[in-house]
Amino acid sequence: MSDLKKLADRFESMIKGRDLAKYTYSLTESEKQEFNIEHGEFKLLRTVYSGRGSLKVFLGERMGSANGTDLTDKGLEALIEDATAAAQSSPEDPAHDIAPDQGKHERTQGVIEPDLDLFIERIKEFLSTVAKDYPRVRILNLGASHDKWTWISRNSNGSDFCETAGFYSFVIEISAAEGDATTGFDYTGITTKDLDTPFIERGDIRRCIESIDASIYPEAIEGEFKGSLVITPSCATDFLGMLIGNYASSGVVIDGTSLWLDKVGEQVVSDSLTLSLMNEDERITLSDLATGDDFLAENATIIEKGVLKQHFLGLYAANKTGRPVVKNNGGNYVVEPGDKSLDELIAGVDKGLLLGRFSGGNPGTNGDFSGVAKNSFLIENGRIKCAVSETMVNGNLWDMFKNIRGISKELVCNGSTVMPYIAVDGINISGK
Amino acid sequence: MFQDMLEKKRELFADGVQTVLRGHSNRNRRVVILKGNIVQNTRSESSGISARVNNNGTFGFASVAQTTPEAAEKVLRAATQNASLLAQHANRSIMLPPSLGTGMLEPHGVVNDAAQKDIIEACQTVDAYVEKTYPDLTTRTIVYTEDSQDRTIVSSDAWNGHMITPRCYIYVFITATTESGNPVELFKAFGGYGSFKDNFSDVTKYYPEIDELYKRLMDKKEGVYAQSGYKTVVLGGFMSGMLAHEAVGHTVEADLVRGGSVAGKNLNKKVASDLVTMTDFAHTYNGSPAPLPVYLDDEGTVAEDEVLIKDGTLVGYMHDRESAQHYGMKASGNARAWGFADEPLIRMRNTCILPGKSTLEEMIASIDDGYYLISSGNGQADLTGEFMFGVTCGYEIKNGKLGKGLLDTTVSGVAFDMLKTVDMVSDEVEWSSSGFCGKKQMMAVSMGGPCMRCKIMIGGR
Repeated sequence: MSDLKKLADRFESMIKGRDLAKYTYSLTESEKQEFNIEHGEFKLLRTVYSGRGSLKVFLGERMGSANGTDLTDKGLEALIEDATAAAQSSPEDPAHDIAPDQGKHERTQGVIEPDLDLFIERIKEFLSTVAKDYPRVRILNLGASHDKWTWISRNSNGSDFCETAGFYSFVIEISAAEGDATTGFDYTGITTKDLDTPFIERGDIRRCIESIDASIYPEAIEGEFKGSLVITPSCATDFLGMLIGNYASSGVVIDGTSLWLDKVGEQVVSDSLTLSLMNEDERITLSDLATGDDFLAENATIIEKGVLKQHFLGLYAANKTGRPVVKNNGGNYVVEPGDKSLDELIAGVDKGLLLGRFSGGNPGTNGDFSGVAKNSFLIENGRIKCAVSETMVNGNLWDMFKNIRGISKELVCNGSTVMPYIAVDGINISGK
Repeated sequence: MFQDMLEKKRELFADGVQTVLRGHSNRNRRVVILKGNIVQNTRSESSGISARVNNNGTFGFASVAQTTPEAAEKVLRAATQNASLLAQHANRSIMLPPSLGTGMLEPHGVVNDAAQKDIIEACQTVDAYVEKTYPDLTTRTIVYTEDSQDRTIVSSDAWNGHMITPRCYIYVFITATTESGNPVELFKAFGGYGSFKDNFSDVTKYYPEIDELYKRLMDKKEGVYAQSGYKTVVLGGFMSGMLAHEAVGHTVEADLVRGGSVAGKNLNKKVASDLVTMTDFAHTYNGSPAPLPVYLDDEGTVAEDEVLIKDGTLVGYMHDRESAQHYGMKASGNARAWGFADEPLIRMRNTCILPGKSTLEEMIASIDDGYYLISSGNGQADLTGEFMFGVTCGYEIKNGKLGKGLLDTTVSGVAFDMLKTVDMVSDEVEWSSSGFCGKKQMMAVSMGGPCMRCKIMIGGR
């Protein structure tokens, strides 16, 4: 860390030497150790030593940025040249800015030095458990890595952040087969600061494996009907990402195409939904010290009991539109649990799907979506009947979240998100 | 010279293993103008050295974000140690693949850097044209994106070389609002292989295509939802290329074949109609450079075309050296890595369904009730060949003529079932080279295809 601080000091003096009065920069040094298991066998061990410098400069109201991996004096000089050239070419825009002085903050979080022996034992334990308990399941790829880094970010307003952090991640891609019958693939993963628990018991890893194991002999749905979806936590995360992107993100607020442009303070979705972007939460593996705009990172609630509390805007979009900035980098979605169990949600469905994964395009700006139900099961009369193949679902994002019929008590925590099952009505479901 | 420096480190290659030392740089330029506002204005460079060591089927890989002799030595040591460490835990003991010859390949590619000022001016010119010509648009976004790879390969028992692959694009996104207040959007990418000046010294040459994009958006604005069900359609060349890449290409990547893809049990079997032939081109198509030419892969294998489907029969897979040995086939240069810190994976290059003899007009005239599907925003597929593509632009076909435009929809199917329904193939290929393929790492790929008449599931509302 001390070497990186010295490098930051040198970089700052180089910037000041160019008479640049307003700037923000960050320097990162990182190291990754990654075990790659292919078809159930250890195949590759990958070590990545990396670094990155980023610089954003402001010439009056003109902004330019550059980043690169070369942290030598020559590389840092090139960053200054490139960012300055970009700013000089840019038109004036007073919305470009950096956060006011946030003070000096330094911390360490997570696991910095990995226990590689225990890590390997946990991986072997996982492979052995799957082979023994789920012999039809194939581990196509397993990536198990430890990442650590030191990051320094400073700006000309006086903010000074320094953090050293590390964590483990574990990601699987699986399928299942019996004789000539095979499934498609599914994937899941977690991040963690500890190796206390077997990987199969973390996040939704066991559910994912059991789901693919039960999908070897899917059935095709006949015809088309309007039904309900019980959306798994990982799939719900994807849909919520689309919801925020389509209606509450910077781009659609700046260009005015958001259908929620003037809906702050109004009920926009079912009052059972509360969605927050959490930063400090014991269920989230690592928090952010600062945002990309140099604000100290905070928790932010976007939707509370169905009411839009704020759009998810960065500093530029906030300045451009005269709305408040959200001091959060996004991504760590936390949804409040409901009052029904997953079994009760399924029992309440006359006809619909337990939707494991949505394979579809990003919805159009109006929120219409259409795609294939992957890793999904038909629900009839409150019971799961069979896995399905070649089944399409389509509807409208906004309508879908207005029509929430229930949210589960059970929450899945994968280190990045905390998510329940969400049941919705009024979705078009069609087979071949 | 950088290549000479890496060559000198060959003396550190361990005996009895296969080693590849790679110097690798990626350059990115990006400008985004959202409704006249420059919201991104960035230049980025990443460079480093990596080494990969194959020790009887157990691989060690290491990379450093530096391009010095010391960095080369460090990655060679670390990769060798990683291979040894992993061998203690792996049950693999695989004979090393045979050498496919050695030598120094002729360098390919040149990259010319453009000033950010020129890039911004080009984007602003396009933005001003769209704003002035089409004031009724709700919003517009102009995106300039440029990425290039510069790779220097030094291998223990394969080919060496220095390869540069630049590409750059201007994306035009335009949005209109329907009478009911719903926004509809279309986009198109202009540009291709080469540097900024190769593609954008005169951006006015793209205006006719922008005009066509606007016309299609106006048709979409008045468009209807597709009627869901199993329909006869004409897939446009872009859609056929997407099908070639997503629904067929991935299933014939040998690592996914080993993972149980549908291609495993279909080798040398009929998987498509006789009209369908599909090839992953290395660097040359029809006597001209392919959209994103690959001459040498990141294992040091000299790139050659890989025929995948021949007259409807599945005849080949795409390989790295190890999988080629496993299947008793020949590696054709598909082991590719995107950045300096990435290990080579089996990836596509220029994947294309070959043209036939029909014309688009004949196909449309032959359909009483169906759809002409032109462009897609994205697509996904599964090991089973079950695929999904979002359709962002299309038209009804009624009584042999184009009808109303379509609102966004999705098509899906199972590739080897759907390809058997192909009964007309057009005589022209449309290529798309602006996208990235995601498979652990990103990778620049191109895909192409003719128009095809076939049956497919289409989603409605």
